[in-house]
Amino acid sequence: MIEVSNLTKTYPGVTAVDNLSFTVGKGQIVGFLGPNGAGKSTTMRILTCFIAPTSGSAKLAGFDVLEKSMEVRRRVGYLPESNALYTEMRVEEYLLFRARLRDLPPKDRPARVGEVLEKVRLTDRRRSIIAHLSKGLRQRVGLADAILHRPEIVILDEPTIGLDPTQVREVRDLIRGLGDAHTVLFSSHILSEVEKICSRVLILSKGKLAASGTPDEIANQIMKTGRVRLEIRGEGRTIKESLEKVPGVARILWSNKGDQNTYLVEPTDGVDLRPSLMKACTSGGWDVFELGYERLSLEEAFEILTAATPKGAAS
Amino acid sequence: MRNFLALTRRELGVYFVSPMAYIILTALLLLVGRTFVGSMAMRSASQMPIDYRETLQFLVILIVMTSPLVTMRLIAEEKNKGTLEIILTAPISDAAFVLAKFVAAMTLLVYLLAPTVGYIVIVSRYGPVDVGAVVCGYLGILLLGAVLYSIGLFISSLCSSQITAGVLTFSIAILLVMASMQMATLDENSALRPILAYVDLTVNFADFLKGVVDRTRFVYLVSVVGFFLFLTTRVLESRRWR
Repeated sequence: MIEVSNLTKTYPGVTAVDNLSFTVGKGQIVGFLGPNGAGKSTTMRILTCFIAPTSGSAKLAGFDVLEKSMEVRRRVGYLPESNALYTEMRVEEYLLFRARLRDLPPKDRPARVGEVLEKVRLTDRRRSIIAHLSKGLRQRVGLADAILHRPEIVILDEPTIGLDPTQVREVRDLIRGLGDAHTVLFSSHILSEVEKICSRVLILSKGKLAASGTPDEIANQIMKTGRVRLEIRGEGRTIKESLEKVPGVARILWSNKGDQNTYLVEPTDGVDLRPSLMKACTSGGWDVFELGYERLSLEEAFEILTAATPKGAAS
Repeated sequence: MRNFLALTRRELGVYFVSPMAYIILTALLLLVGRTFVGSMAMRSASQMPIDYRETLQFLVILIVMTSPLVTMRLIAEEKNKGTLEIILTAPISDAAFVLAKFVAAMTLLVYLLAPTVGYIVIVSRYGPVDVGAVVCGYLGILLLGAVLYSIGLFISSLCSSQITAGVLTFSIAILLVMASMQMATLDENSALRPILAYVDLTVNFADFLKGVVDRTRFVYLVSVVGFFLFLTTRVLESRRWR
């Protein structure tokens, strides 16, 4: 449904998207994950024909974004990150306007608007002026607009940003429901959110595809980047040397204040080092003050994933 | 076509949802009304024949003054609020989008002018009115408005702040109206003189007010409008390759 090959977008001095290739199959819900500034929004803007790529190509529903821009636009529903709406309009009025803009047949419009309002549960607010709605409700108006014309592909840029937990859950359920009839590509910078609804996750970092796979695979990969934090009192260097002998230890970062030592122990390949480190401490007879698992922030994990070779990048 | 009309209608709607249209309309009618009464009183006191031209001339000044208010928000606001993204990812060409904005502004101008026809009707009760000249005068005002609005629309597409767009449009509008006044300060043989005389909007308009449609001027004004609408479309398209 979505075929992106060697897509590149450069701005003066910045490469926002760097030789990006991926495909999304029909009916899939794919999460686009990455830290801020990774190129998610830029990619989405190219896919929705708002901006043009510097090089490379993108095809949606078989139509090229540059050559058949209008055909692509007809088949794509889009919720931009800003979720900008004409706030002076009423909800229903706005959607009717969008339906006209989308060239929906006149007879079909009121019924279809009613349908999507029901779907995003805004029927009771259809007479409200958009400016008076809360952020969560406005987000629903944006979502309603994105699916109004029954698009084959729905592209949502950070659909849950700035929403409270209940609203996040509602939007998530809504996206999950879309998967039956639509191909969905949505972006987020929260891993747990993507895990719950996507059949596939694409991780973008610095404009490149850092990793792709099922949410489980990605979660495992990120887990691998965890490390163990140890605080031990004693002769720092000796302890470090002993710890390095523990199987599975890749690298130890050591710092100390007097005889109070802090170690950050990185594992080789996703092994949970805690039990074996605990044993080592016991047999060494050291005074352990702390032993804990430290999960890297997503940003740090992305950095490490980017350094690795893209796995299944062109699947 | 259907989506073009939808855009135009929304655009026109914005003027009437916000107080803008009412403010312009009220100010315009108050000022034109005052001038009309003043001019009539003066003429009847000095036994001069009644003339509608003063009123139309004053109307032109007001159209020039209010043009930034009409055009400043057209594209700048959409850029600023981000709504440009939802419009230009819908199946709408950039040209249709620009044209819809322009047509909406021109429709507003027609709304602004419509009530002033009343003054002509009043005048016609006290003396003969040359209908052809009146029609010609209004055509001139519409053309003048079209020129100013297309320039304003172009400036609005360059700015992301309405205020900047408004101030710039206002400066250029004033410049265009006062171009021939600048000639006085220039040397007799200055190459700028004919250019200033040509671009000056009041000079261009004077013929229309006399009831004369000069074909060169007409073509000139229409091409200025076309040129700026074209430029505006280009500016919008530039987001794709920038």
